[in-house]
Amino acid sequence: MENLALEVKNLSVELRGKKVLEDLSFDLREKELLVILGPNGAGKSVLLRTLLGLYSFKGEINWARNTHLGYVPDDFDVSANLPLSVKEFFDFKKASLPEISNALQYVGVKSSPKFLEKRLGTLSMGQLHRVLIAWVLSDKPDVILLDEPMVGIDIHGREIIYNSLVEAWQRQKQAVIFVSHEIGEVIKKANKVLALNRRKLFYGKPEEVITPQNLAKIYGGAISL
Amino acid sequence: MEVQFLYSLITGIFIGGVAGYLGSLLITKRMALVGDALGHIALPGVALALIYGFNVSLGALPALILGIILIWLFEMRTKLPMEALTGIVFTASVAIAFLFLPEEKISTALIGDISQVGPWDTLVSVILSIFTFLVLRKIFNKMILANLSEDLAKVEHIKVEKHNFIFLVCIAFVVALGIKVTGSLLMGALVITPAAAARNIANNLSQYSFGALIIGVISAVLGILLFKVFALPAGPLVILVASLIFLISLILKKK
Repeated sequence: MENLALEVKNLSVELRGKKVLEDLSFDLREKELLVILGPNGAGKSVLLRTLLGLYSFKGEINWARNTHLGYVPDDFDVSANLPLSVKEFFDFKKASLPEISNALQYVGVKSSPKFLEKRLGTLSMGQLHRVLIAWVLSDKPDVILLDEPMVGIDIHGREIIYNSLVEAWQRQKQAVIFVSHEIGEVIKKANKVLALNRRKLFYGKPEEVITPQNLAKIYGGAISL
Repeated sequence: MEVQFLYSLITGIFIGGVAGYLGSLLITKRMALVGDALGHIALPGVALALIYGFNVSLGALPALILGIILIWLFEMRTKLPMEALTGIVFTASVAIAFLFLPEEKISTALIGDISQVGPWDTLVSVILSIFTFLVLRKIFNKMILANLSEDLAKVEHIKVEKHNFIFLVCIAFVVALGIKVTGSLLMGALVITPAAAARNIANNLSQYSFGALIIGVISAVLGILLFKVFALPAGPLVILVASLIFLISLILKKK
């Protein structure tokens, strides 16, 4: 079995006096893909931000030593009049040209001098999301945390990107925590699924826990894959 | 060319350049009016320097530091919006300065005067301008990333609060320097107008920030040359040249 990359025990988070997460325990091993499911407002984004050290918490969050984290936030937006080119955005990561074009390839964007000269703020929402994912991939983090990364990307594009990302993660031996409010493509290749709505709803291997009864716990109706 | 004029020109060039560069970050961070407010907060210190005949920047700096600390303390205590507190402190500063600012010094305090800068003043301005520019350049990308997403910057191990503090100190330095050239009333324009013009025509970040620097330098050179020719005050001329460049940039702006 692979080494532990992350261990979470009895995690609780309070924001402005309100309990947002209660008593969560789960773990992530190297090269694993953990999908976090839950309805809107379930605390999924808060969970990611807490794991990244952005919120205070009770309980334990133990990352393996020297774990390099990458984060794809869900609220990334660039003002259209900010003169920041795609290339300059990658310069923040000190990424070389081959690293940039490699990372862009994973998200289905062909890297060209013309594309790199484009202003980040003029890209469509889907394109911007792709570039952001590539940006996070470009310095090869050990663990990548993605918050609803497929929003704004059309269904057809999603499947292609998702498959190519999974391939990249496997090749680079990266562990991934993927937050989504819907079950779709993402479940098929997951090693583990954690469903939550403030508290844990269910947790385990997808083939064991994705059952109509369990899905009804999340979405409150009868759904099957 | 006479030596005195050369000192004025060199002082203007370096201060104009670093002020433009700083402005490109100020506009991005939506802090465009900070330069203006700080220019006023410095006024009591400027008044003291003019009365006792020492370097205006040296007078401005302690007044700026005091003003910034006051705003910070008021904010901790009241939780009122920052701009309201800044408004209180900067108008109070102007009021205090006018209690003891001699009438014949008013114009120097408000619109600046670099016609009399000496060799030491020039040297200090050049060194401080270069130093502030290098610090700003070092934090520039990190500030932009933190501006795009503070969470993302923190995950990239950027200490956002520390950088904001360094940035604030840089603003105080540039205002203290610039107040010599344009005075307290026109200080805001020295940081904002060149950067706004550069933003209109830039395609990327380096064109934007270095464009602002270059426009700041050009404004200073042309303004001070015009001052030499027409014997009108240099500060307003520098700002008017910058404003003219801004108008030209509007025409060049891509749709």
